Amino acid sequence: MVDPIFDYQFRLILIGDSTVGKSSLLKYFTDGKFAELSDPTVGVDFFARIIEVQDGTRIKLQLWDTAGQERFRSITKSYYRNSVGALLVYDVCNRSSFEHIPLWMMEAKRHIEPHRPVFALVGCKVDLVGSDNKNGARREVSCEEARMFAEENGLHHVETSAKTGLNVEQAFILVAQEVYNRIQTGEYKVEDGWDGIKTGFNRPNGMDFNLLEAETVQSTCC
Amino acid sequence: MPSSDSEDFESADEGHSSPNKKERKKRLSSSNYSDNLELDHEPQKFQDQHSTTLKESTKKQANPEDGWDDFDIDEEATETVTEQKESHTSKQESTAKTGPTQSGWDDFGEWGDSKVNEESQDTMKHQKQEVSQPVTDHPAPQPKSEGWGWGWGVDSLLSTATAGISNLTTQVSQGISTVLETGIGAPDPEELARISVKNNDSKPKSAESEEIENTEAKSDQNVNDGAFQFGSLFSGVTKFVETTGTKVIAGGLDTLETIGKKTMEVLQDGDPGLAKKRAMLGLDSGDKLVLSQVLREAKAKADEEDLMREAKREAKEVHYETLFDDFEGLVHLEALEMLSKQVSMRIDERLRNAAPDKRHDIKETLQQVAELCEMPEEEDDEEEQEEISEDTSKPDAFHERLQRATRDIGLKLQFQPLIKQYTEILTWFEETETDIAGKAIYKRAVSGLAQTTALCVELYHKTAEMLLVKNRRSTADEADALTQMTVVLTRHISDLATQFTEKLSGHPSESKEQINGYITNVFLEAGNSSKYIENAFQLTLPIIQIGAV
Repeated sequence: MVDPIFDYQFRLILIGDSTVGKSSLLKYFTDGKFAELSDPTVGVDFFARIIEVQDGTRIKLQLWDTAGQERFRSITKSYYRNSVGALLVYDVCNRSSFEHIPLWMMEAKRHIEPHRPVFALVGCKVDLVGSDNKNGARREVSCEEARMFAEENGLHHVETSAKTGLNVEQAFILVAQEVYNRIQTGEYKVEDGWDGIKTGFNRPNGMDFNLLEAETVQSTCC
Repeated sequence: MPSSDSEDFESADEGHSSPNKKERKKRLSSSNYSDNLELDHEPQKFQDQHSTTLKESTKKQANPEDGWDDFDIDEEATETVTEQKESHTSKQESTAKTGPTQSGWDDFGEWGDSKVNEESQDTMKHQKQEVSQPVTDHPAPQPKSEGWGWGWGVDSLLSTATAGISNLTTQVSQGISTVLETGIGAPDPEELARISVKNNDSKPKSAESEEIENTEAKSDQNVNDGAFQFGSLFSGVTKFVETTGTKVIAGGLDTLETIGKKTMEVLQDGDPGLAKKRAMLGLDSGDKLVLSQVLREAKAKADEEDLMREAKREAKEVHYETLFDDFEGLVHLEALEMLSKQVSMRIDERLRNAAPDKRHDIKETLQQVAELCEMPEEEDDEEEQEEISEDTSKPDAFHERLQRATRDIGLKLQFQPLIKQYTEILTWFEETETDIAGKAIYKRAVSGLAQTTALCVELYHKTAEMLLVKNRRSTADEADALTQMTVVLTRHISDLATQFTEKLSGHPSESKEQINGYITNVFLEAGNSSKYIENAFQLTLPIIQIGAV
């Protein structure tokens, strides 16, 4: 629970193979909880959390949690466009989920064009590595390998665990900070008709809430 | 519509307000600090200087620089502050050096003139009172010319010092802040105390020894400056000066450290690196920093932000669209719209690619599906509702109706969130006291409607997604099911609105006009909700249609 006042809203999308842990990552980030079992995501789900970047600017992250299942692929494609950042999520104990990352990235680039999103490569389930549980999980993607891929492609890389909370926050803050930096340098702008970045309606400069009061009873028709 | 709406209304959950309160509390307390600091600004400034002097003279004091070191570490941006402080310090240093000999005393010369003349004519007792008061206030020695009269005054003071010591103690502790305030240039008490200890190793205990001591003091005066004559006064009070002084100094340093830290907190509150304030005050261009101004600005800003936040929070609490967004209704509507658009484009593409004779068929099919999805007249469903047993609880009946409506859709829809939320509202009705404020009912009504609507929109969105990945489409059934579902949902909304307005109109105490205003608004928001729901249904239409073509 946070103070609902924020300066910007960034829309981030999470993509990657099914069962790599996208929803768990988000659940931990927004709720601080981890569920051992969860239903596969249908289409897209939404999460939100307000964070602060380095200079104290408050950012609301609107997080689009896409279904990884193949059958939803055609649907989730439609959701890419308005994202300013994309988290490419893989499972460190699942080689093929990592091998699909270039495809996910291309897909995202293609659909988010002409905008150029901030990408982060996020490895999940590091808590399984080296544990002797019955799942018999074994690391199949080394940190070095992932880091190398990230460097080659100009991505941030981080390994996380939604079970222990390791680096979960960092993964999102990394992306938010980068987006914010690009706003500062003028590379990103708030644009009409694009919802990747929006300004919060609570900028501390005006009587904007009076306007809101006035239009409380507005038509909802298109 | 949703995309343009969403630009205006976006925010986190309403529930987020409690930490907000916490933060506000924190803010308020820091504004209090700034309040105090502002008021205490003058003394503090002098205390700053004084403490610096103390530092110079008493290296024994346990690391007295702590407080300021923190400043330097905390924030480089305070450089200007520090610099200025240093300039004070150096000025102070020179004053402190010259103080005992000249400048500090000259400041009090005038005071001494008139006071001493009076004293010499006054009675002893009176003199004691007179002197002890100024002494605590201004521990500055007299100019040489007045030295003799003063010396006698000191003597007599000494003779009564033991008796008046408790009196003096309180006066000293009270007066210490005044001393700190006005004592620029005056040698600090501890130094004086040390000097007097050196000069008067054996303290006078009887009148005789007092006599001796007096002579000593006099000779001291002759040879040196008033510092020693004054020192003899202090010899009488050395012990308590030592203890009280150390206490005051130690406590004072702690206080200064705390004040310093708090000041930086206040200054940096919402302004990391002090960037804004530096810019605002033009400090980067080398202007002198005026502490009180910074504090005033900081306080004013904090107050203003508090007010704004409070007002905004208040406004958001009963603002339907904001709440709707908070419950993720807007983003689901937006996502549904994206799907709807994409599917419409696919339908258009199929139409374009179809052979001319087929094209007409497709159009006809599309039209038929659209007709299936037209909302039925109100009265149709009266009977169906009666089929549900009277014993069923309201949430269960609602669930039952939803399931019946969507029986043939061929999907497993999740109604649980809606049912759960309805149960919560009903529980609220039961548990709420009758004397609850009308405004509170109104707030709950608006947020209840917004949340229900958000959940409904989510339901359409999820249904649309599932329809798109459904293997075998049955367009007619789907159209029928979703139409009926829409009827059930919009009826549910008006049900909710009625229950809330009944609660409002049954409200005893408040003014009729106010309550009527609330009731009107609840019905308006309910109309809003129904529109959102029907709109979501219309957005789903292409997704139903595409299954048929």
